[in-house]
Amino acid sequence: MPADIALLRVAAAKSRRGAPGDFIFRHLTFLFALLVLLVLGGIIVALIDGALPALRYFGIAFLYTDVWNPVTEKFGALAPIFGTLVTSAIAMVVGIPVAFGVAMFITEICPIWLKRPLATMIELLAAIPSIIYGIWGLFVFAPFVQQYIQPAIINSLGQIPGIGALFAGPPLGIGVLTAGFILAIMVLPFISSIMRDVFETVPPMLKESAYGLGATRTEVVLQIVLPYTRIGVVGGIMLGLGRALGETMAVTFVIGNAHRISASILQPGTTISASLANEFTEAVGDLYLSSLIALGLILFVITFNVLAFAKLMLLRLQKRAGG
Amino acid sequence: MAIYMRRRLINAGVMALAMAATGFGLLWLVLVLSTLLWNGIGAITPALFSQMTPPPGSAGGLLNAIFGSVVMTLIATLIGTPTGILAGTFLAEYSRGSRFGEVVRFINDILLSAPSIIVGLFVYELMVVRMGHFSAWAGAVALAIIVIPVVVRTTEDMLNLVPNALREAAAALGSPKWKVIVMVAYRAALQGMVTGVMLAVARIAGETAPLLFTALNNQFWSTNLNAPMANLPVVIFQFAMSPYADWQVLAWGGALLITITVLFLNVGARALASWSTFKQ
Amino acid sequence: MSPATARQIMSPALSDSRDTRADPSLRQKVLIRQVDFFYGAFQALKNITMALHDKRVTAFIGPSGCGKSTLLRVLNRIYELYPGQRATGEVIVDGENILAPGLDLNLLRARIGMVFQKPTPFPMSIYDNVAFGIRLYERLPNHELDDRVESALRRAALWGEVRDKLRQSGLGLSGGQQQRLCIARAVAVQPEILLLDEPASALDPISTQRIEELIAELKEDYCIAIVTHNMQQAARSSDYTAFMYLGELIEFDETERIFTHPKQKHTEDYITGRFG
Repeated sequence: MPADIALLRVAAAKSRRGAPGDFIFRHLTFLFALLVLLVLGGIIVALIDGALPALRYFGIAFLYTDVWNPVTEKFGALAPIFGTLVTSAIAMVVGIPVAFGVAMFITEICPIWLKRPLATMIELLAAIPSIIYGIWGLFVFAPFVQQYIQPAIINSLGQIPGIGALFAGPPLGIGVLTAGFILAIMVLPFISSIMRDVFETVPPMLKESAYGLGATRTEVVLQIVLPYTRIGVVGGIMLGLGRALGETMAVTFVIGNAHRISASILQPGTTISASLANEFTEAVGDLYLSSLIALGLILFVITFNVLAFAKLMLLRLQKRAGG
Repeated sequence: MAIYMRRRLINAGVMALAMAATGFGLLWLVLVLSTLLWNGIGAITPALFSQMTPPPGSAGGLLNAIFGSVVMTLIATLIGTPTGILAGTFLAEYSRGSRFGEVVRFINDILLSAPSIIVGLFVYELMVVRMGHFSAWAGAVALAIIVIPVVVRTTEDMLNLVPNALREAAAALGSPKWKVIVMVAYRAALQGMVTGVMLAVARIAGETAPLLFTALNNQFWSTNLNAPMANLPVVIFQFAMSPYADWQVLAWGGALLITITVLFLNVGARALASWSTFKQ
Repeated sequence: MSPATARQIMSPALSDSRDTRADPSLRQKVLIRQVDFFYGAFQALKNITMALHDKRVTAFIGPSGCGKSTLLRVLNRIYELYPGQRATGEVIVDGENILAPGLDLNLLRARIGMVFQKPTPFPMSIYDNVAFGIRLYERLPNHELDDRVESALRRAALWGEVRDKLRQSGLGLSGGQQQRLCIARAVAVQPEILLLDEPASALDPISTQRIEELIAELKEDYCIAIVTHNMQQAARSSDYTAFMYLGELIEFDETERIFTHPKQKHTEDYITGRFG
């Protein structure tokens, strides 16, 4: 009996030792979870703090003025914003259909043994760092575009009155279209991967019912799978858009870094991230620096909204699927 | 009958387009990788690993850049991994349905896809301005901020996969909660968590933008963490955009090095993940 | 199952050594008093009052959803892991109400061991699995720990099969072996009470038989409560049986009496297979 009591006392002491362990661990993990929020908060604060001088000086006009003169210290964000939006738009126009085709192929068409390796290879596209795309774009893709693609476009689409202005100008290789196209390649694995995941959530019985009625594969995908996964698909697209908007190095190499807006997508331009990458370390003068940080703030606001929207869409899909 | 023929034609057409899209995607993968190999292989010489980045117009290597990248990646991993694991543990084990947990998860996923150049700006304001100079520490912190959301996500996902029965069995033995997590749940999720860290490292190995305004670059050999430090991505940026052929060759070599590392880590992580599920 | 069949199954137990009614060493180890249990707003247990006897096996039977597993999980308060689940009432173990707030749960769970439906070996070696609980409470020198691990594995009738591979992962054992490993792990901390939640339901018949033999040996030292959906198993292995239905305790008595002369019609209907 005494031995048992002694054992119990030891055990109790040890077990009470467990209680502070629980307290510490719980609060430790809480602290680090809080850190995640603090990082985001810090980013917002730091950006606003750095951008405030420029925003105060130029006012709201900063957002829609097309000027960028470090010498006279006149800065306006319109050109970078425009470039960001246009390159991302091109990336979406090219990337979404391709991503959809890939997702459809992998989930519905390709043989089972091919699914994993194929999916992995497409995902490798996402793994290749941005700077690799940049240097490849500059040395390999842009010259190719300059020699073959752009002349072809200019001679065909550029001749059509009206929209021809979109494709005007000398073939430089680099430019908004090239940058947008490379963005498309970088972004399509993300969109495709999410599309694939949501396509897989469609209950097999639903598809079987359609096939049982004699529907073709295309019809099942377009009329059953796609509507069912609509929300997730939109979420995936928004995620891809968020990535495209923030992409830096690939764009910096091939966009031409010209602070101007042209109607033609064959011309050089600039994006927010490209301007930052190129000019930040060389910027002299507080106003110049502050204007660049203001650009960063604008980019952050745009991407945050897009990504938050994407996340909300995907969360709604999860809730609906009971996940 | 005509309708049916039309349906079949459309079907064949769409399927062909889907196949073409896949081929299109794969084509670029092959193109990028093969030109990278073609242009970069010439630069892979012993000199690449033994000599410093040269001034324009002369030959050299990338040793200081490789060293800087390795060091900063290592520090970033050391900072980011425990942080991410602990935060992910909170989300998986302590925040069942709580509002706070939902918010953290939401914000974490946004940070996961946030532009890395913004992270660079943040650390610039936070550290470079405060310290008055660029530094490898700032670069490592910027990379750590990119690592954390990845590790948080994978840790939470992997811990959520551990069956509750295992946790209950440990608790039924009288184990305090933190031991249930550290000694049982972590062990069960270990392979998945390691995979997460590998993917995070693969991600930062190629990141340029966050280093542009934090670690900057350094022409010479330096082990001073409190000063600008050379690193592969920024060196590639500088050399590739320059008009010097020597520099461009080195840029390709550096690009090839990074890509091999990244692909190796990615494929390795996937292999590890599927090996562990196979084992069970 | 008809009472006659029950008597046939029961006869080995009847001719067994102890006549439970006259045994002076019989005592009530666990007193369950007016226990209610709630999953959120749903009441899963209604006013359960009964006792578990020391060194005896008490079986809980009843159709799915009757609350037998829930009741088991009240006894070691494992439900406290989940918010929204709560119990009211009293459970007295050796004079102490273990449902009282402020009670040290870890210590409680060291005295009351639990084995689950599906084998749950930890992702570590066989040795470490068994030693896990011991290491939580005691700092033993290596040879003593080795002895404790060996004795636990012997009690679980597993020692012979794993003595040469103690350092190998517990996940490499067969289902039946894994479950015996979990039993070894539970007895290694030297509990007083063992809760077995359908321990053999995921196992093949041969492993099931071994587990039942094990239970017959273990009851000499522990107070055992076992939940089972297999009535023959309850009839074979237990001294007392509790029949539950929709969260209520319908009947509780010595096993022999429950299966041969059930007092409640409901009990008789269940035992003879009219429902469930």
